This record gives sequence, structure tokens and C-alpha cells, in this order.
Amino acid sequence: MKDIDLLQKKNRKLRDFAETMGSSGLAFTGLIGLFFLSILVWQIAAPTFIDGENGEIPPANEFITESDYELEWDYPNIDSSGELTTDPIVLEISWDDGDEVHELQINVISQRDVYEDIYLNESGLSTEIVEVGRKTKFHIYSTLPQSVEVKQKSGPVPSADETGKPLVSTFVIEYDVAVLYDEGIVFEPLEILGYGTLIFLVVTFRFPKPSMLRFIQKFTGKERQLKGLFYALALVTIIAGNYSLASILAALCWILSATMSTSLTKGIERLLHSGRELSETSRLKHSISNRDGLLMWSNMLLVISTLFIPLEIYIPFLTERYQDIFSPYSSGIRAAFYGTIWVMLIAMISAIPISVGAAIYLEEYANPTKTTKLIQALVTNLAGVPSIVFGMFGLAIFVKQGGIGWGLGPSILAAGLTMGVMAMPIIVLASQEALRSVPRSIRESAYGVGCTQWQVTKDHVLPSAMPGIMTGSILAMSRIMGEAAPLVVVGATAMIVFDPEPLAGLVGGNVNFTVIPIQIYFWTSEPDPAWHSMAAAASISLIALLVAMNSIAIVLRQHFRRRLN
Amino acid sequence: MSYFDYLKHNRARVTLFVMSLSVILITLGIIQTLLFETITFLSEIADARGWFTFDWDFSGIFSGAGAASGVFMLAYLVEKATTKYVSTKETPFDSILFPKQFVIYLAFIGIVIQLLFINSLLLGISFLFAFITWRRLAAAINKQRYGMKVSESTLWQNITLGLFLVALAKSITMNYGGALGEFFLTTQWTPTGACSDRRALCENMSFGVNSLLLTTLQVAFGALIIAVPLGVGCAIYLSEYAPPRLVAIVKPTLELLAGIPSVVYGFFAFIYIGPLVVELGEYFYANGWIDQPPNVLNPINGAIVVGIMILPLIASMSEDALRAVPNELREGSLALGATKIETTFKVMIQASLSGIIASIILALSRAVGETMAVTLAVGTVAVFTSNMFLPAQTMTAYIAQRVGGDLPFGEIGYLTIFAVGLYLFIITLTLNLIGNRVLAAYREAY
Repeated sequence: MKDIDLLQKKNRKLRDFAETMGSSGLAFTGLIGLFFLSILVWQIAAPTFIDGENGEIPPANEFITESDYELEWDYPNIDSSGELTTDPIVLEISWDDGDEVHELQINVISQRDVYEDIYLNESGLSTEIVEVGRKTKFHIYSTLPQSVEVKQKSGPVPSADETGKPLVSTFVIEYDVAVLYDEGIVFEPLEILGYGTLIFLVVTFRFPKPSMLRFIQKFTGKERQLKGLFYALALVTIIAGNYSLASILAALCWILSATMSTSLTKGIERLLHSGRELSETSRLKHSISNRDGLLMWSNMLLVISTLFIPLEIYIPFLTERYQDIFSPYSSGIRAAFYGTIWVMLIAMISAIPISVGAAIYLEEYANPTKTTKLIQALVTNLAGVPSIVFGMFGLAIFVKQGGIGWGLGPSILAAGLTMGVMAMPIIVLASQEALRSVPRSIRESAYGVGCTQWQVTKDHVLPSAMPGIMTGSILAMSRIMGEAAPLVVVGATAMIVFDPEPLAGLVGGNVNFTVIPIQIYFWTSEPDPAWHSMAAAASISLIALLVAMNSIAIVLRQHFRRRLN
Repeated sequence: MSYFDYLKHNRARVTLFVMSLSVILITLGIIQTLLFETITFLSEIADARGWFTFDWDFSGIFSGAGAASGVFMLAYLVEKATTKYVSTKETPFDSILFPKQFVIYLAFIGIVIQLLFINSLLLGISFLFAFITWRRLAAAINKQRYGMKVSESTLWQNITLGLFLVALAKSITMNYGGALGEFFLTTQWTPTGACSDRRALCENMSFGVNSLLLTTLQVAFGALIIAVPLGVGCAIYLSEYAPPRLVAIVKPTLELLAGIPSVVYGFFAFIYIGPLVVELGEYFYANGWIDQPPNVLNPINGAIVVGIMILPLIASMSEDALRAVPNELREGSLALGATKIETTFKVMIQASLSGIIASIILALSRAVGETMAVTLAVGTVAVFTSNMFLPAQTMTAYIAQRVGGDLPFGEIGYLTIFAVGLYLFIITLTLNLIGNRVLAAYREAY
């Protein structure tokens, strides 16, 4: 009997083990699949982000401007013994309007794939004589802040120009490349200092250490001077950074640092005043005024700045527009990025107020009449209608002229309104959920002190439901950000060589636009695999954007939840 | 109180009410747009071919649809007979009525799989009905033997009878004609023709939407075959077995999977899944199971990728359903000596079945309406074939592909997308209504 018990127990253990293993295997399939998906997508996208075609795009951390020349000769001009068989190939490289002239001699040998890249800086060329293989490209990189002229003085003509296309017979090659970056470096030291100060203050706010506090205590009584210094630094940062986006963000960092440092020194003063020691850091958070608000704003600023860092580092994929069908690697998603931002903005402006209003009516005001039930049922079912049907609604109502059509054309305005209509049911459902979760006691106590229904809603229910509503809205926005189907129907095109105009549908102008998902769709449909790697890179950018939006939603939710508790 | 006074004293209420009315406006707008253009489309075909024309021919009784009508009739008769004849004693039929459980599962899986490959869809559905009638009969007899009363299900009988009539009509009217007959019953979808006037309806155009519908259903049900076992398995694991720390990792991952845009999934299918499916298809072709060499774009590819897409939906909704079951049920079952897996499969799943079914229905609606991934994965050739290794076109993909090429307003191609869109809208709306109904019923239960 005992043996059987033991056997059963053993079997049971084994079976439990097998069950757990089997079902955890099922759950992990998804995780592993995601992991492989990301690796594979990165594998395709990597050439676009890092190398470009044949590696002609220099790595961003060397701060090389994009004026690189790519040259390729067909036939060797020296024989095996090293004697010249033709005229020597000499390039004359000049800048500063001919003040600086350097000569580069090129020996083309019969072997292929032998090359050496040439670097230019203020002191001259990295080498005077270079050996290059037949039919092999080599590059001339420039770190100079101005354009460089390259002329061929003598020798046979190379067979390709800088875009890799065959060159017709010209003897003198003149390149005049506009230089996009005057700075030469990505971040000004002041900007980095601004970010550093803000991060230091955020860390001090969140995890105060006595040593840090002692350092900050030195500034007690000098808050005004410190504030003035920080504001001055903000001004200097903006002017030195030539009003670029990064400098504006860094200036905001300085301004926030000014406020934070003032409130921190005052907090320390208050702490010491109440007879506490600096080592009692856990007391500090009660003595700093508006600690959570400052932390939230600084967190959001830092998240947004991280978003814009890729735009500052020179990755052509993010900063270039679509070029032409033959040059995938020099195209980028700039126009699509702006299109996405505009469409989202218009969708937000059109959808969020109405949807939140509808949610408030359905949750707070509505009696259970037939109309209310109908609206509720419609909201629930509209959320499940395929997105392409919304696209057709947009096509017939917003895009087309005549009948009930508004005649906005295939513009950003029409696309944004379509997306807004699509987001509406999602936002209504999320807001209703948030309003429903507000405790009854809050409403009743507000009624108890004599508030009207609108006052209760406005002053008590809405603030408590705000985190849920905001999170729901941002998640709805991030969902429609990835939608391509309605915009295909509305009429987004892929080949956009300019930045889109948001109001073109109303005031006239070029209405064409594109968004990132549309770009992915059309690039995937191209037969050339180079475009597929562009699509992979665009996918990574899109997912990064979505993750950033979701993290903003999480930051907001955390902030409000802490405040409510 | 006059209306003016009412407005004056209830400004907030009235403003908010008007805001919520916009939902009704949007719905009416969608329906109006789709309906208006569809009616224009159908009347354009009707101008050329008339609304209804049918040729009657009784030899069609021996076709697939005829066989289907026979099966439906059988199912109807059995359904009728269930409540009339009480058999409390064991009969020789018992071995057929109550086989081992895995035989039932196998039969069900077989029926679902044949739905994907069968040429006559009506016959496939009739097999499904035969299966359901079989199980219903077994359940009724089981109930009677335990002394319970069995009530007549008029709804089910009417559905079966209606399908019998449809199948009979389809089998004896061999040549469908007219606008409605052509759109709903034929299988040739060639909306573009070579004629001089692009706006006109040419003779060689043909609008049988079933070719698009078949591919849509192949993709959607194929996706369910992949997503339901994985998704429900994942939900069971998360709610019954997983330690909390693992749940904290897996749930956000599921949300992340659900948040990835469909066009990215489409890209993934196009680059990776397609070639894998082609290898499988080459094997099939070498063995002679399919008659044409496989293509990178095919419905299986679409089914796999849509299955991955709807997996998070099924997993999270089923997990919610499983978590909502009161703990007493689980504890009671364990106290009676059931093992953990018995508790899971015989108590928890039974108790949360309507929630799980609602999640499956809503996922099916999502799969039917999925556009970008399917457009990139399945292809752009509208064909009516059971060979799932060839490029085909779903309803959504047709709309996306057709509208991409700058459609002139009012052209016949412009009208077709609205007709297809209305059909799609009706299908998904019906599925959503059923799903939300089931969900609400199950929420009331707990």
C-alpha cells in the first residue's frame, strides 16, 4: 500500500513537472519569437542604420561631415613592375576658395578590392599617394566645415561619380557639396552640462544622499544668483546652439534646473529649520514644495530629449527625405516622420475633447434610456470595426468632393480627421473605464457639501479619472500611429521629396503626404531588397516611437497615481 | 419648462449629450456611405444583367451543394426527432454516440481542417452541422437518461432548415444571374476589364465576391487554428501555473506584441514566413499533393502572421476570463481530489468557456478585418481555389490594392470597394455583436 502511495506521489510530481514545463514552454514561445523577430529585423536594418551601401556612410561617432567622394577607375595605370603606363592620375583638392590646394596621386593596380580611404582636415590630406585596385571604390572623407572642390588634373577619367552612377566623359570633376553641419560636433559642451545638471538634480530629488545635499547646502542664500546664472546659461546655450532643437531642449533643462535647485535649497533650509539632520534624507521629500510636479516635468523633458538625440547625430536615414527610386540608402524617413506627427496632432485635437465629453455623458449624466443604450452599443461595436472601413468613410466624407464630401483632398487634414474618427471609440471606452473606477464616495461627499453635478464632475471626478483618461488617449494614439490601412484608402503616397504641409487641404498647396507605416508598406512592395532593409529600419524607428509614447503614458500614470495616493 | 429654459439650466448636460451623439453620426455616416455606393454599384450591374435571373436544372442535385442539402436535411430531421423519441435504455448506437473523448476532438479538428481545403464550402459547413447535431443528440440522450427534460430548440432547427433550403436552391439553380446572384453566389472576381470606356461596365467583367470571401475565411480560420491553442494555453499557464514574477514579464510582452503595427507584421511575413511556407509547398508539390508550384505570397503565410497578431488578444482576454472564475470552484474541485490539470480542464475552462469563446469570436472579427499584413503576405490575385499555396486576395487586401491606384470618383472600381467594404462591415459587425453579447452574458454570470 505504502509503495503504491509512493509511486503515485512520484508520478504526480513527474506529471506536475511535465505540466509546468509544457505550459511554460507555450508561454515562452511568444517571448523567444519576439526576441528572434527583433534580431532578424535588426540584421536587415543594420546596413541602413550603420553602414549604408558598401559602407559609404561614415560612422556617426567620428563626426565626419557627409562630403565624401567616391571614385572608381576601370583600368590600371601602372604595370606589375610599378612603372606608369599612362599619365599619372592626379586629383587637385582645394578649399577656402583656392587658398589651400593639395594634390593626390592615385596609382591604380590590376588587383581588385585594394583601397585606402583619404581623410581631409585643416592640416591637409592624410596621405599624398594612394594605391587603389581596379574597379574598386575609395572614398575621400572631409571633416572640414566648408565645401571642398575636387578636380582631376591629369590621367584617365574614373568610371563612376559619387552616387555610384556611371559618369560620362568629362575631364574635370567638380563637386560642390553643401555641408549640413557647421558645428562638427553633435552636442555643445553647454548642452551636455545642462542635461548633466538636470540629471544630477533629478537623482538628488529621487535618491537624496547626505554628501550631495551638503554640496547643495553651500548655495543656501544665493538662490537668486544661482537662478540668474542658470537663466543666463540657458540664453547662452540657445544662442551658441544657433536656435537648434537640441539647444532649445537644453535651455529648457537649464530653466528647470534653476527651479529645481531653488526648491531644493529651500527644502534643505526648511529641513534644518525644523530641527532635523541632513542625514535624515527620507524627511526631505516632505519639505520640498511641488516635488512630484518638478520630477514629472523633468522626466518628460529627458524622455523627449532622448527622442531627439537620433536627429542630432547624423544618421541620414532619419534626417533625409525620399531621394529617388534608384538610391535607397540615401533616402530617409524625414517626410514620413513629419507626416506622422501632423496626422497624430490633428487626430488628437479632433478626437480627444469629443470622446472625453461623450464618456462623461455616458458615465455621469445619462439615464439608461434607449438612446443611451444605443450609443453605448455603438461605441463598443465601432471599436471592433476594421480600420479599412474607417478609411473608406474618410475617403467618401473628407477626401472626395461632391455629395456629402468635404473635398479636402488626400491631405494631412483628411487623414488626421479619419484617424480621429477611428480613435474615438477607443478613447471613449478607456475614459469610461477610468471614470467608472472613481470611488462613489468622492462623488457623494462632493454632493454632500452642495456641489452641482457639473461641479462634481469638473472638480472631483475628472481630476481623479485623469490618469486613466490620459493613458487611454495616449495608447489610442499609439495604436492609430501604427495604422496604415485607412491612410492607404485616404490616399497617402510614398514618394514624398518635401516636408508635408499640414493645412494644404484647406488653404491650397501640395496636399501629398506620407506616414511611416505607409512608407514601410510601399518599401516592402518594392522588388529591390535594398528597399526591404529600408523598410526594416523604418519598422525599428516606428516601434521605437511607439515605445517612447507608451513610456510617456507610464510616466504620467505613475505621477498621477502617486499624487492621488 | 420650455426647451429654452431646459437648455439654459442644463448647459453641461446638453453639450455633453451632443458630443456623445457624434458616435451615432459616425455610425450613420459609415453605413450611409457604404450603402449608397453599394446600391449604385449593384444597380450598375443590374443595368447590364438585370437584378435576378436563374436557370433551373435538377441535375445539380448530385453536386456538392446537393449533397450538402441532404446532410442539412438529415441534421434537421435528427434535431426534430431528438425530443420526440426517448431512449432510456442502452442501444447499439451508444458506441457511436458516446465515443472516447479524443475521437470527438479529432473529428472536430478534421472538420475544421477540411473547411480550409474543400472546394464546396457549403458541403464543408454541412459537415460541421452534422458534427454539432451529433453532439447535441448525444447530450440530449444523456440528459434524458439522467431523468432531465429536454426542450426543443426552435432556433437551431430553423437555422438548419434555412441552410437546407439555401443548399437546395444553390444546387438546382446552376446558372446564377442578375446583380445580386452574381455578387453573392458566383466565384469569378475580375473587376477590371479591357474596354474603351473605363467608367463603363464591360462584358468581360465579373463580380463574384466569393473568391475574396474564401481567401478571407481561409486566412481567418487558419489564424484561429494557430492562435487558439497557443493563446488559450498561454492564458491557462498565466492564470493557473505561472509564478507572479513571470506573469509580470509575460503580460507586458503580450501587450508589446499587440502594440506592434500590422504593417511591421506584414513585412515580417513577406521576408521570413513566405520563404518557409514555400519550402513546405515544394515538398507538397514534389509529392503531387498540389498541382501548381507554390508562391511566396499565399494564404498560409497570411494565416500564420494573422495568427501571431491575434494571439495576444486571445491570450489576454482568456486570461481575464479565467481569473474572473471564483476561487471556490477551483478549491472545491481540488478538495474533491481532482488533480491540477483535471481542475484546469474540467472546471476552470468549463466555467470560463463563454469568456474564452467571446475572445475567440472577437479575434476572428479582428482577423477578418486585418488589412496591411494580409495585403503584404497573401498577394493580389483574386482566385477561387482550395490550393492555399498560390497567391490570392482577401476582401481587405482588394480594397487596399484597388484604392492605391488613384481611383476616379464614381468609376466602377471605386464602387466595387464600397460593395466589398459593406460586406466586410456586415460580417465583422455581426461577429462583434455576437462576441460582445457573449461577453456581457459571461460578465453577468460572475
